[in-house]
Amino acid sequence: MSSFRMRHPEETSLVRYLDGDLPAREAGKVASHLESCSQCRAEFEALQSTVADCARYRQEVLDAMPAPPAEWRDLYRDFSRIDESLAHEPLLVRLARPLVHAGAPRWATAAVLATLVVLGVFYQLRQTPSVQAAALLKRAIATAEAKPRRVHRIRVRTGNLDFTRVVGPQAPLTTAAAAPSVEALFNLAHIDRNDPLSARSFEQWREQQVHTTDEVSTVAAGYRIRTVAREGEIAEASITLEASDLMPVDERIEFRDSEWVELTEIAESTTESGGITVAPRVEVPVRAAEPPSRPAAFAPGPSASISDELQVLLALHEVEADLGDPIDVSLSNGKVLVTGRAGLPPSRQQKIQAALANMPLVEMQFDSLQPAAIPPQAALSSAGGSATPHPVIQSRVEKQLGGHAEFERFSAQILESDEEAMKRVYALHSLAQKFPAASEAQLSAKDRELLTTLSREHAAVLSQKVSTLASLLLPTLSSLGGTAALVQAVPQAAWQPAAEDLFRSSTRVDKLVSIMLGMTPSEGSTASLPTDLLSALKDLQSNLDDCQRLIAQ
Amino acid sequence: MGFLRQPQSSSELQDQVAQLFVDTREDLYRYLLTLGVHPPKAQESVQEVFLRLYATLKKGEKIENIRGWLFRVAHNVGLKVRARQASEEAFAPELELRLTHPALNPERDLLERERMLRFHTAVEGLSEQQKRCLFLRLEGLRYPEIASTLGISASAVGEFLRRALARLKKVRDE
Repeated sequence: MSSFRMRHPEETSLVRYLDGDLPAREAGKVASHLESCSQCRAEFEALQSTVADCARYRQEVLDAMPAPPAEWRDLYRDFSRIDESLAHEPLLVRLARPLVHAGAPRWATAAVLATLVVLGVFYQLRQTPSVQAAALLKRAIATAEAKPRRVHRIRVRTGNLDFTRVVGPQAPLTTAAAAPSVEALFNLAHIDRNDPLSARSFEQWREQQVHTTDEVSTVAAGYRIRTVAREGEIAEASITLEASDLMPVDERIEFRDSEWVELTEIAESTTESGGITVAPRVEVPVRAAEPPSRPAAFAPGPSASISDELQVLLALHEVEADLGDPIDVSLSNGKVLVTGRAGLPPSRQQKIQAALANMPLVEMQFDSLQPAAIPPQAALSSAGGSATPHPVIQSRVEKQLGGHAEFERFSAQILESDEEAMKRVYALHSLAQKFPAASEAQLSAKDRELLTTLSREHAAVLSQKVSTLASLLLPTLSSLGGTAALVQAVPQAAWQPAAEDLFRSSTRVDKLVSIMLGMTPSEGSTASLPTDLLSALKDLQSNLDDCQRLIAQ
Repeated sequence: MGFLRQPQSSSELQDQVAQLFVDTREDLYRYLLTLGVHPPKAQESVQEVFLRLYATLKKGEKIENIRGWLFRVAHNVGLKVRARQASEEAFAPELELRLTHPALNPERDLLERERMLRFHTAVEGLSEQQKRCLFLRLEGLRYPEIASTLGISASAVGEFLRRALARLKKVRDE
């Protein structure tokens, strides 16, 4: 095709061209187009200058940083220590290592490892604890991969939390939307939220540590591995593997600051067996969307009420701080407590402080930053791991759309609408949780009106974004053979539970979209994704209609 | 940056990693500060990253792009350290002041200072993911390396960068 007839390249292509990220053929096309099109050339030059500005700005920022506070260490001494600890690493681990890193197919690695481990069973029992630990864990991982788990329940306990999580291939997707504090904790503890109690996560953490001491003991249920780390935020972790099939039954992670997390597999029957799998005393079902109790909400006097909280939310809404900024608002000790979490830029913080400056009974806490919660769109993979995008569905979509460039454009448009939609979903969900029907009824008519206006606005913008998303997705998904399943709507009596349903269906859409675009690894086959996503979208639209109708009432 | 190839003697490897440490430690250290890690912790983390690098290479693992690897590991270590700074503020030096204070930047004229401040505000306004992609890109990481650092796909990196640049371009045009 003549370069004169080539369409103007997308901005994404220009950026990728500038970054040298385009494949040679496409890069050639862009280059010859730029030669002939002054409009695109100007665009490209503007991008180039922006990148140059960025680099200059970044250099200024880096130069403005303080110098290191201490002398740099002489690493040679540490090197020798590492050499020593590696030299003492037992044969079995050294034998197994090249298999793990040589890029052999995973199943082959797992199979060979399993054989090695079985052959070495007598050997390992005479070896140091670290061999036993590594060997047991590797065997446990191989077994787990060979035999996918059915849906099961894990009890999660920490110093101040106690809840149950349903995990497994068909577990309800709502489990992914747990409280931010739980997600942050899981990230810190290297826990995979889709498979919290797993030998793999334990081994991944263990492998990353430079200096560890292992202990392996036999207990009633099977083997117990305890690993103490000299560095890092996790001081020690222990896991119990069942003797018969090496399935993990419990795990405990202790942080250096004495926080801890305990995970226990809940046995199918609640009767105790072997003293390990004990049904929890308090089991909070994850799906339950019970509104939280609102203590002191209507206390008289100078104590803050939910009405004050509503005013704060409105003020935050004015500066759009209710759309994705890492901020929590809660009632605490008679005040409306506004807490900024890690990741809130100082300039944003100032804007929020200014917006709330003249409000009574407000307490702001921006200085004591809690662990960063992971915002829905910016979820990082747990440290050290890298997501493996599922290429099958992506290439199907790409083929359907007619090429990589089209896929990129499609993906960009979808990301945009999805991101905007999810911001509104979270905002609406948060309002529904803060003002359950009973609390709403206690508000003055004026406050109720304000609350309605706010939720109506979120729902209306959401509705626009969902329509855009649907119109983008429908043609492609249908031509990939997807058909929307019949929706069995459960009508709700108030907008709050409807917002819960909406939240559930949107997070499902969000997750499926992200699998489709290759941004989240899929947990299984993606063959049914077009149908799943179409059904989820339909479900979302019906929940949204329901919610909007109830808000209007 | 040189690739470390072929099995080699322990002392050769030690020398190479030590040299790499001298060449790259300041870059990594400053990068960690911009993630909000406090200076002493940042320095400690950088040292830890190089020990991990040594242990990894010593075990015979191959690393294609060492700089990419170093930033990826430093990024993950940094985020964990920052999350553990629960009781402290994130490290945030007064950049606005440093970037624009006439006494600190005597050679820069008023317009230029203002422009830098506008740019700074715009960068602060980017989403966390956009910023991370941009900064890692400016450290010389390729899309796939940024993608694996952040746990997203390479096409998502392209998309985040496009959005970030589009926004910053507006500031330039203002």
